[in-house]
This record gives sequence, C-alpha cells and structure tokens, in this order.
Amino acid sequence: MSAGDASHAAPRYRPREAVIGETAGPMPMEDGELLQVAREGFDRRSVLKFLGLSAAMPLAACSAPHEEIVPYVEMPEGLVAGEPQYFATAFDLNGIATGLLAESHEGRPTKIEGNPDHPNSLGSTDAFHQAMVLSLYDPGRASLVRRAGEFSTYDAFLQAIVARRAEWSQTSGEGLALLVGESGSPTMERLLQGLQRDYPKMRLAVFEPISRENQRQGVKAAFGKPGRVHLMPAEAGAFVCLDHDILGPGPEQVRLSRGVVDRRRVRAGSTTMAPLLVAEPVLTATGGTADERLACRRSRIAALASAIATRLGVPGSESSGDLTARETRFSDTAAMALREAGGRALLTVGEAQPPEVHALAHRINAHLGSLGRTVSILPPRRSESKLEALDELTAAMADGSVTDLFVLGVNPVYSAPADIAFEDALQKVPFTAHLSLYEDETSEKCLWHVPQLHPLEEWSDARTATGLASIVQPLVSPLYEGHSPLSLLAALGGQVNRSAHDIVLANWRERFETGGAGGETAAGTGGPTGGPGRGGAGDFETFWRTVLARGTIEGTGTETGRAPALTARSAAPTSPDEPDTGSFEAVFLPDPAVWDGRFSNNAWLQELPRPITKEVWGNAAAINPADVAALGIADGALVSITVAGSNGDASRPVLIPVIAVPGVARGTIGLTLGYGRRFGSVARGIGADVGPLRTTDALWMRAVEVSVTGASVELALTQHTHQMHGREIVKEMPLSALAGQARDLATETDVPPTLFPDFPRGPYEWAMVIDQTACINCSACVVACQAENNVPVVGPAEIRRGRDMHWLRIDTYYTGEDEAVSTASQPVPCMHCEKAPCEPMCPVGAAIHDSEGLNVQVYNRCIGTRDCQANCPYKVRRFNFFAYANGQEFADLGDPMVHAVHNPDVTVRARGVMEKCTYCVQRISGARREAIRKDGTIAEGEVVTACQQACPTQAISFGNLSEAGSSVNALRREPHHYALLEELGTRPRTTYLAKVTNRIGEDREGG
Amino acid sequence: MSDASLSGRELIAEHGRTRDGLMPAEMGYRSITDEVAGAVFARPTRLWMALVGVSFLGVVLLFVSIWVLLAEGVGVWGINSDVVWGYAVANYVWWIGIGNAGTLISSMLLLTRQKWRASINRYAEAMTLFAASIAGLFPLLHVGRPWLVHFMTPYPNTMDLWPQWRSPLVWDMFAIACYILFSLLFWYTGLIPDLATLRDRAKTRFVKVAYGLFALGWTGSSRQWRAFDAYYYAMAALGVPLVISIHSVVGLDYAATLMPGWQETIFPPYFVVGAMFSGFAMVVTLTIPIRWGLGLEAIITRNHLDAMAKIMLFGGLVMTFSYSFEWFNAWYTGNEVDRAHVVAQFTGQYWWLYWLMLACNGAVPQLFWFRLCRRNLVIIFIAGVLINLGMWLERILINMNTLSHGFLPSTDSTYVPTFWDWSLFLGSFGLFCFLFFLFAKVIPTASIHEIRELAHKEGAAR
Repeated sequence: MSAGDASHAAPRYRPREAVIGETAGPMPMEDGELLQVAREGFDRRSVLKFLGLSAAMPLAACSAPHEEIVPYVEMPEGLVAGEPQYFATAFDLNGIATGLLAESHEGRPTKIEGNPDHPNSLGSTDAFHQAMVLSLYDPGRASLVRRAGEFSTYDAFLQAIVARRAEWSQTSGEGLALLVGESGSPTMERLLQGLQRDYPKMRLAVFEPISRENQRQGVKAAFGKPGRVHLMPAEAGAFVCLDHDILGPGPEQVRLSRGVVDRRRVRAGSTTMAPLLVAEPVLTATGGTADERLACRRSRIAALASAIATRLGVPGSESSGDLTARETRFSDTAAMALREAGGRALLTVGEAQPPEVHALAHRINAHLGSLGRTVSILPPRRSESKLEALDELTAAMADGSVTDLFVLGVNPVYSAPADIAFEDALQKVPFTAHLSLYEDETSEKCLWHVPQLHPLEEWSDARTATGLASIVQPLVSPLYEGHSPLSLLAALGGQVNRSAHDIVLANWRERFETGGAGGETAAGTGGPTGGPGRGGAGDFETFWRTVLARGTIEGTGTETGRAPALTARSAAPTSPDEPDTGSFEAVFLPDPAVWDGRFSNNAWLQELPRPITKEVWGNAAAINPADVAALGIADGALVSITVAGSNGDASRPVLIPVIAVPGVARGTIGLTLGYGRRFGSVARGIGADVGPLRTTDALWMRAVEVSVTGASVELALTQHTHQMHGREIVKEMPLSALAGQARDLATETDVPPTLFPDFPRGPYEWAMVIDQTACINCSACVVACQAENNVPVVGPAEIRRGRDMHWLRIDTYYTGEDEAVSTASQPVPCMHCEKAPCEPMCPVGAAIHDSEGLNVQVYNRCIGTRDCQANCPYKVRRFNFFAYANGQEFADLGDPMVHAVHNPDVTVRARGVMEKCTYCVQRISGARREAIRKDGTIAEGEVVTACQQACPTQAISFGNLSEAGSSVNALRREPHHYALLEELGTRPRTTYLAKVTNRIGEDREGG
Repeated sequence: MSDASLSGRELIAEHGRTRDGLMPAEMGYRSITDEVAGAVFARPTRLWMALVGVSFLGVVLLFVSIWVLLAEGVGVWGINSDVVWGYAVANYVWWIGIGNAGTLISSMLLLTRQKWRASINRYAEAMTLFAASIAGLFPLLHVGRPWLVHFMTPYPNTMDLWPQWRSPLVWDMFAIACYILFSLLFWYTGLIPDLATLRDRAKTRFVKVAYGLFALGWTGSSRQWRAFDAYYYAMAALGVPLVISIHSVVGLDYAATLMPGWQETIFPPYFVVGAMFSGFAMVVTLTIPIRWGLGLEAIITRNHLDAMAKIMLFGGLVMTFSYSFEWFNAWYTGNEVDRAHVVAQFTGQYWWLYWLMLACNGAVPQLFWFRLCRRNLVIIFIAGVLINLGMWLERILINMNTLSHGFLPSTDSTYVPTFWDWSLFLGSFGLFCFLFFLFAKVIPTASIHEIRELAHKEGAAR
C-alpha cells in the first residue's frame, strides 16, 4: 500500500501500434459493418455471417497484441497474484499535472491514489482523479474512427494525412491549423515546436473554456512581461480571497487546499490560525469554509480590492466609489488581517476578475512584502508564445484561409464563447479532424473523428505549474480503439509509424543525453540544474526506470519564491457603479463535478453531490432565496435567462431550473459550465447549457434578464434540509475555546449508560476522527469511497426518489444569517457505534459487531428487512432497492467492460441487500495479512481508509484506539472533540472535531 | 315448531323480540338452522357472483403486484434510503389490527359471557383469519430477499446460525405465526358442530362427504358437547393473552427502537387498543352488508351494532388519549427531537393526513355517545369506514413521519407512494373480500349452535 511498490513500474503492456496497410486484428468484418448492421437490422446473409463471427470471436479475443506481452506463467517480478500493484503516473488538467499512483489488479486499473512524492498531490487526490478509472472503462467512449460520420479506419486517416502533407510541405503549412487544449506535456510541446519549424505558416491555437487568460494579462499589467501566478498558501499567515475559490475544483486543488488548511489546522492550545476571508458572488466551498465571508456581486470585487489597497496604503491606490456598510466592514477586516500577516499575507483574485484587479492584487502583495513568499511569478512556458486565440483562428477559418484543421482534445463547438461562430467557420474548412476521448459536438461537425486514448492507456508526460515533469504511464493496453495525440502530431510531421511510447521515450532520451531535461524557463535556455542526466548515473535505462517508479523527473522544476519587479504604474481597476438592482448579473463558474463538461460522461461525477447544494445530475442556477421569493418561484422552477438588452436577437435564451442558495449575492445568478450536452451516453440531455450567455467579452459575468416560465422540474438532490434546526449537529467554536488543555479521557464520566455488556477490548479497536475545520467539502472522499467499495450509481430518477447509494455523504448545513452565511460540512460515514442501534434490530444477525469494534454487515445473511436503517439515527445505511450493481445498472454501466472497474477485494452487492461503510475492512484485512507475514502487529498508519487517503486536507484520521499513542487517541483528547448525537448513547467510533473559526473582526470588536 | 317455515323477519313481526332485543321472541332451533344454513345452500345470487368477480380482479391485481415486486425488487415502491419502511409495514400493522377483533369478540366476549357475540363471532373470526393471513403476507413481501426469510426461523443448519433473538422482528414472526395458527384452530373448532349440521342437511353426496370430512364425525352427543365446551373455553382463555401479545409485539417493533415518535413505552397497549378499535370498525363495516345480503336481520340486530359502537367509542377515546399522551410526552421530556417530531406531525409535509387521521380516529367515534347514531345503520357504516381509514392513516404516518424527520435534518426526506404501493394494498383488499365472499357461501356465517344455545337461554326456543 505504499509508493514503494511503484518500483516495479516497468510497463507490462504497451499500446498497440497501428501499422498502415494492415488491419488491426483478425476481425472477419470491419467494426463499422458490424454496427451498421446492428442498427439497420439483420437479413439472412448477415445472420449467417454473425454466426460465423461469433464462432471466431473467442479466437479473435484471444489474439496476442502486436508488442511483446508476458504471460502470467512467468510472473512479472515482484507480483503476487491477488496483491495489487501500484504504478506512478500523472493526470493533466488545464496543463497542470498531478502525480498519481494507479492501483492495478493483475493488469486491471481499479483505483487512483495520490503520489506522496509529487508536490501537486502529496498523497492526496481530488474527485476528478478518483473518477478517472470509471472513464477508462466507459463504454460510451469513442472507439471508432469516422469519416463524415461513416465508419473508417485509422489507416485511412493516416493515408489522408500523408496525402495532405505533400501540400503542406510545399506551402510551408499555409492553411494548416492546429487547435489544442492547454497541455503541460513537454513531449507534446516539442512535437508542436517541430511542426512549427516544419510548417512555419502553420497556425497553432489554444483554447480552454476555463482559461487563465485574465491572470496572465494581470501579470503582464503588473510586471510588464508575461508570467504565471503560482500561489504558495503553505507559506501564508492570512488569506483574503476575492472571488477566488482557492479550495474549489481545479488543477491544483489538492496542493492549494492542503496549503490553506495546514495553516488553519488547530489543536489544543493553538492560538494562531490563519484567517480566511472570502468575498464572492456565489457560495462556494471556499466561502463556506471562510471565517469571514462577504456575498457581493462579481462586479463589486474591483471596488473591494481598491478599498483594501487604500486601507493598506498601497502606493497609487485610490479609493473607489462608495462601499456598502458590509463591504466597508469586510475591507477593514481584510486589511487588518493582511497587515498583521505582513510578508506572509496572501491576497488572491479569481480568474473571473479582469486583469486590472489581478494587477492590483500583485501590488497589494508586493506592498505587504509577500510577493515572492506566498505568491511567485513564474516565467511563461516556452509554448505560450506564438499561440493564437480561438477567435483569431475562427476568423481565419471563416475567411477561408484555413484548409486543414486538427482539433486535439478540446470541444469548441460546445464550449466556445457564443460570439465565436466556430461551428459555422468549421464548415468552411475542407479538411477537419477531431481527436477526442468521446464523440462529441465537435466530432459531429468534423470530417474525421479519431478516438483518443484514456490517460491510463497511453504514454505521455505532464508538468506541474513549476515545470516538474512526470511520465504518464499506461496501466492497460487500450480497451477500445484509440490513438494518442502525440502519435497523431508525429504523423503530421511525417512520422506515421511512431507510437506514443517511442515518442515520449525518444524525447526524454534526447533530453537526458543532451542534458536539457530541465527547462521550465524561457525558450532556448537550459534547465536550471542542467537536466536529469547530469550528476547521476549516466545510464538512461536506470534514469528511465527511476523516473517511472518515482513518478517525477528530478531537476525539471523551476524555483519558486521569485517575482519580477513591478512596473511603475498600471491601470487602476475600474468598477462599475452599483448595478441597478432590477437586473440580474449572471456569473459563470466551473462545475465542481464535470468541470467544463469534459467529465460529464462520468456517472460517478454526475452523481457526486455538489458541495453546497447537494444537487446531482444537473446544474440548477443558484439564486439568493430572497430573489427566488421576489420572482415568486420555488426550487426547480424553470427560468429563462437572456442577455440584458439583447431584445431577442441572436442569443437564444437559456432555460434552467433555479435553486435557492443563501449566501449568493442579491441579484446574482450563479451558472455552472459543462451541462446541456448533446453527446455522451450518460451526459446527453442532462442540465442546461449556459454557453449561449457566455461571450468573449463576458466570459465570466454579464447582465442578464431573468423571466419566469411557469414550468418547473424536480431537482435531483441528496440533501433537502440544510438547516440544523438549532440542534448541535456540527459544533462550531471560536479559536479561543481551544486555549484549554487536552482532555483526559480516563476521567471522563459522561459516558451514557447502557443495558448491554461491553464487547471485550482486543488489540485492535478501529476508530476515525474527522476534523470539520479541515473539511473543505471537496467530495474527493465520496468518489474515493465509491471507487474503493464498488458503490453503484443509481441515476437521477432514483436520486429523486431518495435512493442515494453513497456510503459516505457530506452533509452541508447553512449557518449564520443570510448575507454572512457560512457552511458547516460534515462527512458522515458509518459511525461504527459500540452500542449500535442497528445490531439488535436485525432478525437474522446480518448486522453484527466484530472483534475489532467494527459494525459489519454480512451481505450473504442479509434478507433486507431494512430494520437496521430504520433504527439508525445517522441513516448511513444504504439499501439495494434494485440490482443497481448486477442486472439493473443505470444507463450503460451494466456493460461487461464497466464491471472491470470493480475492486476485486470488495463484494458487489445484490438486490435486496443492505450495505454501508465498512471502514474499508478489506484494507484492514490486507494490513493484517501483511502484519502476519512480518510476524508483527498492525502499526499506526498501516491501515488507511479510501476516504482518508483521498482527502486533500487530511481531515480524516483513522487508527487503533487500543494503541495508546495512536493519532485517533490523541484527537479524541482534543477539547473540541465530540461525537455526533452523543446523547443517544450509541458511543460512535467515528467522531468529530468541531469546526473552529477565527473571526478576527468579531474578536477585536468584542475585545 | 309450528313456525318452522317462517323466516326470522316474519317471526319478529309475529312475536316481537326477546327482552334484550337480540333475536325474535319465538324462534325455534329449526328456524335458526334454516335461517343460517339456508344462505349456504341457496343458489348463488347474481349479486354474489358479481361481488366475487370484482374481488377476484383484486386478487389478480395482488398477484400481478407480487410478480412485479419479485421480478424487479422492492424499488418499485416509494420507499427510499431514509423512509425504508413504507406501505408494506403499514399494511401489515393495519391488517393485523383488523385481525384482532375477531378473536377479541370470540374469546374475550365469550369469557365475559357477552351473549350478543353469538351471532357475529363466526364471521368476525373468519375476518380475523383472513386478515391475519394477509397481514402475514406483507412482511414476506416487505423484505428485500423474500426467498431467504427462513433465515428468521430457528432451523438446524450447518453454519449453526440462529435468529438474532434481540430483534423485535423475530418476536413478531413468532407472534404472528402463533396467532394465525390459533385463529385457524379456534375458528375451526367452533365450526365443527355447524359443519355437522351442514353435513346432515346436504342434499348431494359430494357435499355431504365434503362437510362430513371436516365435521370429524360430530354427532352432538352430550359427551362430545362436554369435551367441546371444555376445549373451546380453554382455547378462548388462550386467545386473550395472544390477542394482547400479538399487537403488543407489533408495537415493540417500533418501541424497541430509539427513533423519535417510536421510542415510547405507551406503544404496546396503544397498539392493542388501536387494533381492537380498527377491528371492531371492520366488523361493523362487514356486518351491515352481510346481515342485509344474507337476510340475517333477525339474528344480527341493531342491538349488536349498538354494542359494537360503544366499543368503538371506547377505542376512539383511548386513541385520542394516546395521541395526546404522545404530544404531552414530547413537551414534558423537553427533548428537542421529539418536540420537532410532534411539530412535524402537525405541520410537516404529511400534515393533512395527520389532521384527517385525528378527525377519523378522534372525532368520528364521538358520534356514538348518541343512541340515535349507534342505531343508525348508515351512520355506523360510514363511521366504520372512516375509522378504518383513520387507522390505516395512523399506520402509514407512524412510518412516514418518524423516518422522514429523524435526528439529522440532512436526512429529512419525503415518502411518495407509487402505483405498486397502492396496487398491493388494493390487491390485498381484493383477496380479503374474495375470501370473505367464498366463506359466506360455503360456511355458515353465523354460529348455528351458539345461536341455538342463545335461543335456549333466552327462552326463545322451547
């Protein structure tokens, strides 16, 4: 269970190479024909053909791949059958990598963990990473090469490229255009540079629906040269986040939230806690966690930033217009917190803010002396020069100057801003090709569609923001036909035969040999440490094996903690006057579960309750309850949103249901991206596409008109009541309450009485403590639990009927009054009560207590009376009302391929059976087997539950109560430790640390 | 015996009634037999055929519902992760409650020498038997894997596994099993002399043999009557604790938990009285059509209904008391969750069902303070139906209110029944009616021998 296992990370499977002029396998028919017949029905001849085919199928399925494979007769070194292996790999989101360890059971990846040696992971993961394995097996993935919608082959595609290449060579790439997403892959960057050399007139454009453009422009405005912002919250002593969801989803969620929470983790006697102050338009996980939160319109942030700058005396700052009383109070408090933290202060601004606000933030940080300490300005990536934006490319396409367009990995037809007529321009390009994981909106409009391989199937590489490179290793040979963007780019450059493996290997071999493997600096210069080959053993094979095993390539990162000098003056942010309260301001946000829509076919993520609203399978618009009441509607009512003042011209209205969320600024309507997809076996038709409202000049906010349609839909929610009704469910306390000493558990006498005798204590008494101060509601634990424990997906209809299957849920309660609302989030797994109310209820003894204090459920014995859940005060048990996992799966999740995602150590539950959190009993068993082999006992830290392992902020601790020195024992002595519904006498093993807040404003006023 | 040819109605017209009004003043043994057995041997009427047909449709609906349930899973119902108990449990409790009245009438009234029970005990017992059997069906269907319910029984197995004896469900299973067995035996025992009468009156060989087999060679000798009486009274004495235990145990299913609204010591007696209440309401609801349909007005008189109405009034008062005790307790204990539960009952999403239930169970029985209402067939009938509705609402609300509003507000949820929830309930009602109509045609609906005994004691028969 440790990263050490990754040392066996030699690739055992390599992706199949496509060879021109040779069919991919001994299939008697083309794939296309099979599906076409399946669609159009069978005649007698095809029935006979299929009879023959089905006889030949087993043989075909058993054929060996082209490359060398090693049979299990000669087992790979270090492999124990039944024991999982871990391989280091990486996952790239918007060009920033997170190092991961993929768990593989006999060559079948089933689970993703963080790579402890990787700075963007530190052993943890986010929800996207956890859900990766489901996408790998997704039967809805693209698996066919298509030409004009008809089935074709990759060979035919390559031949078409070869034919076109002759022309490009002559015209030096005139008319050739590439459109890519943000990628951190050094090899890809190199291939693109090669192409730019070969075809100097080639257009290279980059497009991301969720970009960092404002941030980049902000750096340029403040420092006069390009650069990238790199936040280092782990160094900070106070956080002020202006419209920045620093703890929210994103490529660096794990690193940033770990940094913030580490500065806010408090224990007995703690007197310091970095305050977190957030001003934001829509209640996000960050705002809910904050000590001080201001709900304010996105357009007011600039004024707020100016006010803070003025209060801090930032040179050149000028007091902007009038602030409301709340805004004044917030900026006072923020300025005070920042001033106190001084050089360790961190003021951050979200991407949605205009460049001037970003620039002002840099000035504030510089003034405080924290620029370079808590925030670095990194040099731009080599690739960032010579890039076109989507609008420029689209203009070129529209005027006919683009003849060949290759779209790699992005889906601009769906996600391009509404004013960029990409779809129309696409029709003017004679040769278009789209490489993507799914057949999507863009695939439909392109001449060629080529399926892309999943990151767990292909070789690649990736980089963190600081340039630390990792190799992306395949865990399994491709499950469906697919191709790597690397080999496609190589083919464009004339190398049609190269596999991604060869390309990546060759790139790193070259860099190793020339000593240029480093290099996150400006173009041309060598790496800061001279590359990975220098100083180490000169053998590339050793270097390569080390790199694969460790998951990072040392010497590739650039130094942080630097920032260039500010320019003398930059434009001060202008903030519009208080917008008229009659119209709404729509703000656009990435979706915490599907991001920009790229994860929308992942059923785990679709069914992941959104951090605040607990909505699943949809993207309702978040509106303040008072606004909802003013509109005279209720949750689920469909509203029609149009661009203000558009007078019904081109922009079509967006129909979207609303959900009342306290803490949304009045007059703000929060819209998340990524929904309303027209493609995807799971994603199709779910939610509303807010794209029509989003234009280049209003990427993140715009004034809109909202009209009530009168229709309504039933939202799919997993939590309906967010009020605690005055009960102490999530305890909250100020930092000052921790001043006291740790409790002595031995002298505590408030243990509730019981009639039942205590179970005898054994050498292992498992317990979990969850720190609610550290919980940021990111829900990585929920998906981790789902992946680890084979928790089925039930679909939106079942969710609407209240049949959520997650073993671990995060309850979110609103606290505080409406404007200054905060959230208290409480992860609720099974409490494993010592006096479990479920156990005496079960008539057949399926719910029983084991010798290590676990409350276990014996699936074979369970007859499904549900009495246990009826009597569970925490309602943590989950019932298989249908055969969600075997026979009645949602959508295409019953496909045999998807069963491969199951963890072989965990039973797949049948219909009619109750299930629940087991404290990952299979991991405890694994640790016990390991301990017996060592002839020892299970030590602290040898059992890590799936939720604990995933948690980016390490809010979950798990361990043995019988071990005096265990972390859970220590945490149980904390003054802010408590058990949920303690008064019922259930004596839970899962307990909590109260949510501690550091409300500096109030404390000062009070004092 | 000169009046042998006259019907009960004619006899009343001629001779008036006995002093307590329970039967005609002059009614020979033969008239009684004619009156009751006649209904069995008469040709089936069109109405009867139609009723059997309609109720058979209900039986079909029941079996279709069960088929769909077994094929798809309990997910076809409206239950969810929080409200895990739905109509199946509520219907079970309701049917068991109905099944209580027959035994109460038979045994408790027998032991307390309430002579008016004689003419209604037979079909009340039949009602008990059918209702209890249907009730027994629901727990089987309620569980997720009905094919494994034998796990609940203590049978020898290689794993040495026994039921989990602390579970109220195990107690419940034994209670229902005992009760159904007892009801069957008690009912059958009381039937034996009447089966012999039917055997003796049968006109065809087949019918004679069929009744004869079940009559167990009853000849009506003094020896037999002595043994019969001793056995029957002993059974009745057994029945009283059983009828108390069965519904007490059902109450314990709830009371043994820690959930707000369930964990109340009042539950066992409250459930017993509730059962008696709904049982009597059902007897009344059945009596009025039966005495009309089978022409038994002479034997089942308004005095019977009057007596039953008084019991319903008593039941209604106890129920009202129990409800108010619940409210008082929630207030008195100061427990915020219990208090929130009571508030949710009155104002939560099921508020109108709760108010309707209070009206049916608390207000409607108050009519029976008035003699006029106790003797008005229409009022009694409507009141009986309303009380049954109220008691059924009480059963579903016990499940829904507690499970929809638990300890953690995050788990609040709403139960919305589906078509298959309703179809199973209606189907069970169809089965009940179907069995009852068959019973009315095959077996004497009133106890011939006991009415004869009554006639003897009343001095009506000489």
